[in-house]
Amino acid sequence: MIEEPYRWVEAIANRREYIEDQLRLGSPVVVLNYADGLLLLTVSRETRKVFEIYDRVAFAALGHPADIERMRLVAIDLAHMEGFNRAVADVSLRRLVNFGISPALKTAFEQVFSAPYIVKMLLVELGDDSEQDSIVKLDYDGSFARSEIETKEPFDALAGGNEAQTAMLDYLVEHDGSPRRTLEDALKLAAKTWAVGMDMAEQGQDKTGEATEKREIEPEKVLREYLKMRHVEAAVLDRSRPATGKFRLLDEKEIRAALKDL
Amino acid sequence: MDHPLPIPQFLHDGDFVSVLKAHGYEIAPRLAEAAAKFQHEMGKGGIATEGTTVLAVKYKDGVLVAGDRRATAGNLVMYERAEKLINIDERSVLAIAGVPAVAFEMARVLEHSFKYYQRSQLQEMSTAGKVRSLSKLLKENLPLTLQGVGMVVPIFATYETGDGKDSGGKVYFYDALGAQFEGVDYAASGSGSLAVRSVLHYLNTWGGKPLAKFNESEIVVAALRLLDTAADSDTATSGYNPKSNIFPIVRVITKEGVREIPESELGRVYKSEV
Repeated sequence: MIEEPYRWVEAIANRREYIEDQLRLGSPVVVLNYADGLLLLTVSRETRKVFEIYDRVAFAALGHPADIERMRLVAIDLAHMEGFNRAVADVSLRRLVNFGISPALKTAFEQVFSAPYIVKMLLVELGDDSEQDSIVKLDYDGSFARSEIETKEPFDALAGGNEAQTAMLDYLVEHDGSPRRTLEDALKLAAKTWAVGMDMAEQGQDKTGEATEKREIEPEKVLREYLKMRHVEAAVLDRSRPATGKFRLLDEKEIRAALKDL
Repeated sequence: MDHPLPIPQFLHDGDFVSVLKAHGYEIAPRLAEAAAKFQHEMGKGGIATEGTTVLAVKYKDGVLVAGDRRATAGNLVMYERAEKLINIDERSVLAIAGVPAVAFEMARVLEHSFKYYQRSQLQEMSTAGKVRSLSKLLKENLPLTLQGVGMVVPIFATYETGDGKDSGGKVYFYDALGAQFEGVDYAASGSGSLAVRSVLHYLNTWGGKPLAKFNESEIVVAALRLLDTAADSDTATSGYNPKSNIFPIVRVITKEGVREIPESELGRVYKSEV
C-alpha cells in the first residue's frame, strides 16, 4: 500500500489526474482591471460562481459546487475573524491565502484516503490604487501563484486545463489595450476571453486522434452559442463605491447592455 | 480524523457569534467575579465610564439619531469627545448609552455579524433579524449587567427599504436585559433621556405638527435643542461646548443611507436657533 514511498507518489499522481479530469470542462473565469477597479467574469448555468469575501476581497472558482461553497465559507470565516479580532485593514489576501487556505488545502489534498476538493480558485483584492491590486490563483493542491500585477499585467484567467488557460492569457495579452478601459469595454473583452477558453476546453475534449489542424476561434460566435443555455455572471470591486464594501454584483441588464453588439 | 479545514460540515446558518465562540471568544468574559470585587472596592458607581444622552426620532425622510459627546465615571468627566453613534451597516446606526467598553464591543460584533450573514448566506439579514441579534448580545451580557459594571442600554435605528408597508425609518430601544421594543415615533436613552422623552412627547402631541411631519432642517434644530435641554439638568450630558468647539453628533438615515450632519451646519444652527 502507500507505506511504500513510490506507491504514495503514484496515489498522489492518480489523485491529481482524477481531479484535473473533473475540472477540465469547468467554466473559465476572467479577471480584468478597468478604470475603477477589478472585474470578475464567468458564464454559468445556474449556480453562482463569483462571490464577495470581504470589504475588498472577491472570489471566483470552478469545480464542484459543494467544494466551491466550502472554500468560499472558509475564506469568509477567516477574513471575518481577522477583521473582527484585529482591524478591517488587516484582512489581506496574501495572508488569507498563504497562511489560511493554502496550507489547509495541501493537507487535504495529501490525505489520499479522503475525498479531494475539486476546485480551482481565483481570489482578487482591491488595493488603494490599481498598482496595489492583487490577483491570486489557488489550486486544489494548495499551490498558488500571484499574478504579475506589479509588471503591469492587471488581468488573469483561470481554466480547468492548461491549454485553455494559456489560450485565454494569450488572447488577453494580444487584446489588452488600455488598462483605463471602461467597465463596458472590460466586460466585452472578458466575455470574449471566456469564450476563447471555453472553446479551447471543449476542443481538447473532442480531440479525435491527432488534432492536427486547430480551427480558428471566433469568440463572438462561440459566446452567442453558449449564451443560449447559460448566462454571463460578473461582479466588480469598485474603488469609487462610497461604502466600505467595494463588491458589487452586476445585474443582468447592465451586462446585456454591454454585450449587446457582440 | 480531524478535518484539515475549519469548515462547517453540515448546516451553515451565517451566525458570526457562533463562529466567534468556536474560536473561544466570549461576549461577557469571565470578568464578572473580578468585576464584582472591583465594584465592591470602588464603591457604587465604580469608575466604569457611562452616562449620556442619545435619541432617535422618526421624521419625514427617515430617522434622525443624535448623541452628546460626554463620557463620565461617577462625577468625573472622563472624555468630552466620545462618539456614541456607531454605524453598523449602510442603513443602520447604533446609539449607545451605558458602558462604552461593552457597547463598542457589541457594536463591533453586530457590524461583523451583519456583514458575515450577508456574505455567507448571500442575502441581507432582515430588520427583525438584526434587531434580534442585538437583543441576544444584550442577554449574553447579563452577568456584567447584573454586576452593575457593564450595563448597556442601546437604541437601534435603521431604514427599511422596499415598497412594503413596513418600509421607512425604524427605531428600536432595549432594556439592559435584552428586551426589545419598537419605538413608534421616537426613543431616548441615557441619564438625560427623561428630559428628552418628556419634551418629545410634548412636541409630538401639542407641538403644532407631529414629529413625523418635520423636515430635515426642522428635526435637526429640534434634536440640538433637546440635547441642550438634557444637558441643562443632567451633568453627565454635554450640549454644545463653545469653549472647545465640541458639537454633538447628529446623523440622519434615509433611503440613501446614513449621512452625518457636518459640524459647520450644526454650528450655523446653534448660532441661529439654539
